Amino acid sequence: MNDALKVTSISAISPAVRLPDAPAKITARNINFYYGDTRTLKDVSLVIQEKRVTALIGPSGCGKSTLLRIFNRMYAIYPKQRAEGEILLDGENVLDSRYSINRLRTKVGMVFQKPVPFPMSIYDNVAYALRHYETLSRVEMDERVEQSLRDAAIWDEVKDKLGNSALGLSGGQQQRLCIARAIALKPEVLLLDEPTSALDPISTAKVEQLIDELKTNYTVLIVTHNMQQAARVSEFTGFMFLGELIEFGVTGDMFTHPGQKKTEDYITGRFG
Amino acid sequence: MNRWRRRQLKDYIAKVLATLATLFGLFWLTWILWTTASKGLSALKWGLFTQMTPAPGSDGGLLNAFAGSLVMCGIAVLIGTPIGIGAGTYLAEYARHTRLGFTIRFVNDILLSAPSIVIGLFIYELMVRPMGHFSAWAGAVALSFIVLPVVVRTTDEMLQLVPTPMRESALALGVPQWKVVRQVLYRAALSGILTGVLLAFARISGETAPVLFTALNNQYWTSNLNQPMANVPVVIFQYALSPFAFWHALAWAGAFVVVILVLILSLISRWLVARGKVSV
Repeated sequence: MNDALKVTSISAISPAVRLPDAPAKITARNINFYYGDTRTLKDVSLVIQEKRVTALIGPSGCGKSTLLRIFNRMYAIYPKQRAEGEILLDGENVLDSRYSINRLRTKVGMVFQKPVPFPMSIYDNVAYALRHYETLSRVEMDERVEQSLRDAAIWDEVKDKLGNSALGLSGGQQQRLCIARAIALKPEVLLLDEPTSALDPISTAKVEQLIDELKTNYTVLIVTHNMQQAARVSEFTGFMFLGELIEFGVTGDMFTHPGQKKTEDYITGRFG
Repeated sequence: MNRWRRRQLKDYIAKVLATLATLFGLFWLTWILWTTASKGLSALKWGLFTQMTPAPGSDGGLLNAFAGSLVMCGIAVLIGTPIGIGAGTYLAEYARHTRLGFTIRFVNDILLSAPSIVIGLFIYELMVRPMGHFSAWAGAVALSFIVLPVVVRTTDEMLQLVPTPMRESALALGVPQWKVVRQVLYRAALSGILTGVLLAFARISGETAPVLFTALNNQYWTSNLNQPMANVPVVIFQYALSPFAFWHALAWAGAFVVVILVLILSLISRWLVARGKVSV
């Protein structure tokens, strides 16, 4: 966990460990997003590689969370919001209304800024969505819950109190429980919306380490307002500003020699 | 006098006025409770719960009135609660920011503060006249009209208090909305909704006008819901107007028991709310 804390300044980033290019998991083409009549995303296109961590950074209000919430059509629960364009998940356009929203959400899981455990036991939090989708025997369910909690690096802390209310956990534990809950369904993509902004540094380090482990099985897309975090955890970074994707590329390159003036101004702290 | 002193003085005057207003309100409330308690306690006796309401000029108890009130209030809550929770859920989860939702909420607030005598008359026209006689059913339905807006309002408010991220994280798991409402949101809002139901029960246990026009009263025990049925508020009303001293005593005793019941229900709902805060 200290490894995650070590990298504290941007200058310390080195593009030393560069993973080979992976196939595209998600291809977004010309995404435009509207809140009522206001256009908040302008022709955003990007490719997200499979089993890599991609970070979206940018100042508040730049549209990074909005973009993230399009990938699982979270915006669709609000009647005044709509998205245009194409998002291809394994070649299928998930913005097409014929693409089942619940099927999409089992493939694309999401973890939110503030950890919100459901008001039920730790076990039931993880089992909740599983019960809806799969008919598992008691033993199988126990195994799935355990595996999810192990994958979310929280098993050892909760294994003796699975029946206790999830609301009694600390903030950091709650957030890892939320990750366990999201990965219990075995999604292919994980969307993380500022998952550590409500956590203390130690919990943050644990979650960052977890993100690093998660990419062996999942494609991870993380929104963060913390540039050091983007530098620590991601292979690719997109910089957004005023609803546009200004620059997208390999994280190391982006932080050492950004291609755009705006990106440079932002990552050197000149605005934001 | 400098500015700081002047502000201090204003602050002091405001504090005194606010305290006096509170004391004024509390004074009457304490007086009412004191009178009810002193007159009611002295009239309290075991026979109250074992004997029927007496014939004119003789002594007795209030057993049939207590039972009748309990039955009618119980049925009213059974009718009002599911409909109220359903409507409150619709308002909070499906029509939160829609014009229709605002309209329904507004109309519900009117119903919430509608004089109960209007509800009594409405059910009189709707049920008592067509049926040709007063009945416990009519009384229960009239009371359910008072339960309904209270439960709608509390369900709506309690669900709106459930944080949006909880709703979103449940939906993000691909679980359909109706399941999310039932299995996650109701759980989070449970103590608040229960409190609303309890307070509605407390409120109708003392309502007189709606039952006066519908269930009327019955001197005898009846378990037939198509018959007029005795109930505490109407018995208190009639006995308080009677010329007999022991009927007055019965009325005070009945009033005292209702006040204690309301107090207990309020305490339970307080406890529920406090417990809810710890666990949610």
